[in-house]
Amino acid sequence: MGVENNKLKIESVYLAFGGIQALYDVSFQIEAIEILAIIGPNGAGKTCLLNCISGFYTPQRGEIYFKDQRITGMAPYKIATARIARTFQNIQLYSGMTTVDNLMAARHIHIKPSVLSSSIYFGPAHRREIQHRKAVEDIIDFLELESIRNKVVGMLPYGQRKKVDLGRALALEPELLLLDEPMAGMNYEEKEDMARYILDIFDLKKIPVVLVEHDMGVIMDISDRIVVLDFGKKIAEGPPAEIKLNQDVIKAYLGTPES
Amino acid sequence: MINADTIPKLLYSNYLTYPDQVALREKRYGIWNQYTWKDYYENVKYFSLGLLQLGLRAEDKVSIIGENKPEWFYAELATQALQAIAIGIYTDAGPNEIMFLINHSDSRFVVAHDQEQVDKILQIRDKIPGLEKVIYWDPNGLWSYNESILMSFGDVLNMGKEYAKAHPTVFEERLLEGKGDDLAVISYTSGTTGLPKGAMISHRQLITLAYLGRDLDDWTEKDEYVSFVPPAWITEQCIGITGCILSRMKASFAESTDTVQENIREIGANVLFYGPRNWESVARTVQAKIGDAHKFKRLIYYLFLPVGYRLADFHLTNKTPNPFWLFLYKIADLALLRMLRDKLGFLKVRTAYTAGSAISPDILRFFHAIGVDLKNMYGASEIGTVSTHTQDDIRSETAGVPLKGIEIRISEESEILVKSNTLFVGYYKDEKSTRDKLREGWYHTGDFGHIDDECGLIVMDRMDDLRKLAGGQRFSPQYAEIRLRFSPYIKEVLIVGGEEREYVTAIVNIDLVNVGRWAERKRIAYTTLSDLSQKDDVVKLTAGEIRTVNRALPEWARIRKFTNLNKDFDPDEAEMTRSRKLRRSFVETRYGDLIEAIYSGKAELAMESEAILKDGRKTTVTTSIKINSV
Repeated sequence: MGVENNKLKIESVYLAFGGIQALYDVSFQIEAIEILAIIGPNGAGKTCLLNCISGFYTPQRGEIYFKDQRITGMAPYKIATARIARTFQNIQLYSGMTTVDNLMAARHIHIKPSVLSSSIYFGPAHRREIQHRKAVEDIIDFLELESIRNKVVGMLPYGQRKKVDLGRALALEPELLLLDEPMAGMNYEEKEDMARYILDIFDLKKIPVVLVEHDMGVIMDISDRIVVLDFGKKIAEGPPAEIKLNQDVIKAYLGTPES
Repeated sequence: MINADTIPKLLYSNYLTYPDQVALREKRYGIWNQYTWKDYYENVKYFSLGLLQLGLRAEDKVSIIGENKPEWFYAELATQALQAIAIGIYTDAGPNEIMFLINHSDSRFVVAHDQEQVDKILQIRDKIPGLEKVIYWDPNGLWSYNESILMSFGDVLNMGKEYAKAHPTVFEERLLEGKGDDLAVISYTSGTTGLPKGAMISHRQLITLAYLGRDLDDWTEKDEYVSFVPPAWITEQCIGITGCILSRMKASFAESTDTVQENIREIGANVLFYGPRNWESVARTVQAKIGDAHKFKRLIYYLFLPVGYRLADFHLTNKTPNPFWLFLYKIADLALLRMLRDKLGFLKVRTAYTAGSAISPDILRFFHAIGVDLKNMYGASEIGTVSTHTQDDIRSETAGVPLKGIEIRISEESEILVKSNTLFVGYYKDEKSTRDKLREGWYHTGDFGHIDDECGLIVMDRMDDLRKLAGGQRFSPQYAEIRLRFSPYIKEVLIVGGEEREYVTAIVNIDLVNVGRWAERKRIAYTTLSDLSQKDDVVKLTAGEIRTVNRALPEWARIRKFTNLNKDFDPDEAEMTRSRKLRRSFVETRYGDLIEAIYSGKAELAMESEAILKDGRKTTVTTSIKINSV
């Protein structure tokens, strides 16, 4: 797969809720296989941007392309089929189902059932189930979810649920992974683990990762490039070392001495 | 028939006679995979030939660090087949510990589990000049490492396979050259005092010990064993590796360290081996969960558990229960005990052992009450198993009776001396310690104890740990400590006293999980361990637990004052050994100020403690700690 194919391109996106301008002329693109972080103070529009990419919101103006295909305003399930997977800030799982069932459910875009074969246990349906279960077990192994494989997700502690949420995104076999605050609410050790998983995914799957996160330490450590939003506008873009020294970014976070 | 005097020869003989019988099981990707003796043997063979290609010679050393997995066993047997020697390292050892062990043992190769272990070794690589290759078996996370010292387990196997094509008989020839007196492993003792010492152990010693175990318990090929005690410990060497090959008992490997209990249940283990801390934690979990259970379940528990206790008391005092109690026990078993055993995965357990350090008689009694035949075993790396409970003598205060062929003598200072044909060869590169511990054929255990009227061995404490009070009375801190640890609310405790002290005091680590639950039930709000431990109610709770134990102690050995420490004793800060024994003198020095404050009658102390995090960074925390009277 060439780099060209993986391109995510966001072209001058505008999104408003009534009088509130959530995104204002935001453009950037992913050309290489990289970890791109989106940062910004509260309410800067980070999650809105992810929601636009994954189809939950439709921008009023501007276009989003993935692999040269226009995905602006496409329904979320179609975007999932285009292999863009995401995790959620406030974890969206089937809380009454077990970890393994949640991951199996996430394989749905790869399952093409027919009424006939699915009504018979043996044969194709059986083989398909095994094939998908193998893919799911790979993820369980990868994220070390063995001990909670058969536990109901709703009963799990927060950090574990975050991991299952990530596993669910991976089960899609994405070509672009969007992570919405994967480390929020975690303790130091859990954060370290999560950072390692993200790097490992990047390493193994060779796919671009877009990351929204508040923890600056983590972002500076693991991302290749950073996009900074403030009040819906992109105010900076560049490698971590550059962003750290950017006056606009410092101002956005700390305010100006006069005001 | 070959003369199977080494462990690889035993494996070879199984391979020839029972190639298709199941030898090992491993749960991977949610499924139990089986490996036959043929698979076992072939993996050992090819890995061994791979090592040969890499230049491993007889008497070289190979260190192995990882969780219990078939690869661990393959690596050890492969090493031994070339008459080289295996060294096991505990997985939670830090980089400095690993560096010491690899350097001291002159290991040329390290077989490591995963990224975590590989990272630790790479970090100290410059300080281990003799290290040639690090071979890992779990590639997760290591995809993009390109250090030339790294090699995957699979690559070594493939090298071996290639080599075997051209030299089909080399492996068998090398394997048959081995002799019973060759060294099999160097077992580094946990070292409650000073640096670890490497006990050199021969094939003959391990095989003799495995025979003893097998004859005692009738291990057969029908038995199931779950391997999760670290193979770095001699016990697992005797049971999991040598014992299983000798008796063809099947060894199963848990999916991960978090799933052990669940996996034991799935396998239906017949023979079980836990350290005292594992038993304690199981007992504590049961007690805590019952506290949270439905009223009806609690009623059943408190109604029938006493019946179990009653029967346990018959067993533990070598008496035969009368039919009335036997009948009641049947009912209790149906209503409660059976289900409890099932939940814990102990339903099919025929014999369960505890070893490594002393276990509280209360814990032993608890497990007998629920129908688990838990036996105490006493031994040391240097000599293997010395004594164990037998079917008709499980008195809880003893460490059992000496095994066949083992002589025990009590020295004038009441030190336990042992002589047997399972004696170790000596300490690696440490003549002086060898001479100290091994005099005229007697191994000096350093344990204080005696033999009672019925030939039972009673081990009181380490010689070095016995203390005298100012009044001249002797007491054993450990004796009180293990009894206090039976409390679900006390995780760890250090008993303090000495010749300059009038009375005995205690520093307590509360059990955050169980005390936390207790506090929630009592509607006590808390934030961290540090906060919870200083709450008045929690102090009262601890005091109550201490009072209970005090009743069993002689007047002068009773605990008068205590503090709840604001943190746990931690192996990462060298306060405990990796096998979770307290490093007493170190801890006493470290908390010297606190101990002074306790004896000087202060009510409170502001303590500044420096915590070393796992990644080596340091932070300082100041907390005020209350000093309480019992």
